[in-house]
Amino acid sequence: MTAWNIRPIASALWRNRTGALLVAFQIAIGLAVLVNAVYVVKQRVELIGRPTGMDTDNMIWVASAGFTKNFDYDSSWREDLATLRGMPGVKAASLMSNIPLSGGGSSNGFQNRPGENIPPKEIVQGNNYDVDEQAVEALGIKLIAGRSFQASEIQPPSETFELSSQAIVTQAFAKELFPKETNFVGKTFYGGLSKPIVIVGVIDHMLGAWVGWDKLDHVVLFPRLKNGPTAIYLVRTEPGRRDSVMRDIEAKLGDSNPGRLLRWVRPFDYFIDQSYLDDRNMAIFLVSVTTALLAITALGIFGLATFNVSTRIRQIGTRRAVGARRMDIVRHFLVENWMVTTAGVVAGCGAALGIGYWISVKYELPRLDLYYLLGGVLTIWLIGLAAALQPARRASAISPAVASRTV
Amino acid sequence: MFGYYLQLALRNLRRNPGLTALMIGAVALGIAVCVMTLTMYHAMSGNPIWWKNDVLYAVTMDFWDPQQPNDEKKPELPPTQLTYRDAMAVYRSDIPARKVIMHKAVGILSVDGQALKPERVTTRVTTKDFFQMFDVPMQYGGTWTDAADFGPEPVMVLSRKMNEKLFGGANSVGKRIRWNDNEFRIVGVRDNWLPLPAFYDVNNGSLEDPEDVYIPFGWNVALELQSAGNTNGWKPEDVKNYQDFLGSEMTWIQMWVELPDRSAHDKFKAFIDNYAMEQKKAGRYQRPLNNRLTKPDEWLKVNDVVSNDDRILVGLAFAFLAVCLLNTVGLLLAKFLNNAPLTGVRRALGASRRQVFMQHLVEVGVISTIGALLGLALGGLLLMGLRALYTFDVQDAGGTQALAHVDMTSVVTALSLAFFATIAAGLYPAWRIGRIPPATYLKAQ
Repeated sequence: MTAWNIRPIASALWRNRTGALLVAFQIAIGLAVLVNAVYVVKQRVELIGRPTGMDTDNMIWVASAGFTKNFDYDSSWREDLATLRGMPGVKAASLMSNIPLSGGGSSNGFQNRPGENIPPKEIVQGNNYDVDEQAVEALGIKLIAGRSFQASEIQPPSETFELSSQAIVTQAFAKELFPKETNFVGKTFYGGLSKPIVIVGVIDHMLGAWVGWDKLDHVVLFPRLKNGPTAIYLVRTEPGRRDSVMRDIEAKLGDSNPGRLLRWVRPFDYFIDQSYLDDRNMAIFLVSVTTALLAITALGIFGLATFNVSTRIRQIGTRRAVGARRMDIVRHFLVENWMVTTAGVVAGCGAALGIGYWISVKYELPRLDLYYLLGGVLTIWLIGLAAALQPARRASAISPAVASRTV
Repeated sequence: MFGYYLQLALRNLRRNPGLTALMIGAVALGIAVCVMTLTMYHAMSGNPIWWKNDVLYAVTMDFWDPQQPNDEKKPELPPTQLTYRDAMAVYRSDIPARKVIMHKAVGILSVDGQALKPERVTTRVTTKDFFQMFDVPMQYGGTWTDAADFGPEPVMVLSRKMNEKLFGGANSVGKRIRWNDNEFRIVGVRDNWLPLPAFYDVNNGSLEDPEDVYIPFGWNVALELQSAGNTNGWKPEDVKNYQDFLGSEMTWIQMWVELPDRSAHDKFKAFIDNYAMEQKKAGRYQRPLNNRLTKPDEWLKVNDVVSNDDRILVGLAFAFLAVCLLNTVGLLLAKFLNNAPLTGVRRALGASRRQVFMQHLVEVGVISTIGALLGLALGGLLLMGLRALYTFDVQDAGGTQALAHVDMTSVVTALSLAFFATIAAGLYPAWRIGRIPPATYLKAQ
């Protein structure tokens, strides 16, 4: 008889297989859910945490809406920008057409040569924003080539839908437009109706409007002022002064002009958090439901082990009476439990891979990494062991005298 | 007999309180998570106008880029919205019993002589059938006349929420109000109405509250309004002013029609196909003829209102319920087998297998009931937690309304599903225990 008693344990288990099978089934589901939940959560966390290219912690957005007929948009934005730029703690302020990462914006198709019959595959999509000369500073983005816009280049607000003739673009956008080039400054690309646009500056990285869009890092900035009567101002503050500057802005702009409504003053986080709300909630939801599911599985393991102990009190007593050490009893139950867990784990691996495949197809994600599976298997083994430990130790405390007693 | 079984069941449950608590806890947790997830799923994916599913149709027409479809993942679908010119042309048909063309806009509301701050409001610029077509309930007044649509007359329907904010909930019909500094007259107040998801405009935030203000469709041209939702185009065009925009290939108008029977459906389909063929001659509509009339349930499906995430959540809910049920079966089995000697005595004293089975089934019923009640309470708590997760900003809680208006039917469905599943889970252990030959246990005594 080997010390581990694999065969007798297995045959005893097989005789009372219903409960064990039920637990193995739970473990299989638990493993499949655990592995895939961790996989999905990790994707979401990476998505939320990816670099934006901007100084998001110190940025404030302000919206002002003129609503009366005699509202003078032109003097309104001039006054507002002058006020904002003059405030203590403000590094730069800019009038911008939309808020990046907010889920609202505008995008256009661009091409690297003029003409109307460009094959669709060569049209490069870009998020475009109308900005003024302080935008690069106010966004906190890094120019890696060329220059920023000058005040004289900024076009007035206009009612036309026409694009500007100059642009600052992200490196990712420029690379896709001119795959063979390395120096993009001075290159000309084209918007609707073959309108030429010259690249004056290249920024290393910036994210655009829609967090679910795979062209999110294709950003194009045009030197033009946003149309009225709604203005959106971007304010960048000195590090750490965001909240106090926000209060100052509310106080200063709140009542400065009765012809408009100061709609809101909000930190950049507000928009970013909102855009990622579903991803964040999905992560929270998956983590909590998976934890609860593993807890219930552990209870199932615990319940089975407890039951097995309680129905075998006399047998355990007998074994103890004929010389088994307490250690042997503990080992018996742990090995028995390990067999059940392992049966579940084997079935669970298949289920985990199947679900993982389905998710990767559905979300167009890379295939489930096998390290996740390995981690999941180890976790389940540990949980199984921990759940069976207390019943096993209780079994080992059964007195040998039980054997000689009639119940 | 039932009373006696009930008594026995309660006594048995008290015999091992730990195991009982474990079982009830597992059932309750399983039910709670199921109720929560299915309620959420239902809120997000139900058909909020199922009673008119057979007569309402979303109108879409494929005039897109001859070289590529609007959505490469679903090349068979036309764009979800129409161009202004197509919408206006097709709207002229008198085949539909009711018809609506509309878009979303944003305006600022103010009331003369009121100290209240002006309000920014989401607005639906629509023709008047909107209210009757979608069975929109009215609190006061009604909708505007046909003539008001393209007049356009300065008339407005206000939401109940906005009416409470501006007029304290009083009947405000006939009152004057300013929208973007243009004077309008209130003709109706819409009662609380929350179609979830907002099937009539899946393009622009389908889990948001419906608009606060409704004004006649003609105001878009009169005030040169653009859509506050998505505007999409495919063709480089020389758009210089609003007239160019109206004549452009850009889509921003939603259209629905009500067609009471098959023949009206076929006639209207022929009408729009005919229109598209005419347009083909004029050089537009260069893609293969593909105009669609889509019913609400199908419309929600093809537009992916139910995201992949929601399906994962439902899968997860069922995995969770499955684990809880397996757990319950296992624990019940353990519990019943633990009491097998007692059962043996009862069998020996003359109880039939059927009676033993019934007795244990009553015990299962007691556990399920307690578990379901606890589960319901816990599910309510979880839903509140979920609402907190989705509540983004106390001031403009948009999508959270989806969960604030949990309807009872979906809760009852989820609850009864879980409850009966638990009873079903108890069938096997109850049956198994009835099969035990009494002699085995009597011998051991």
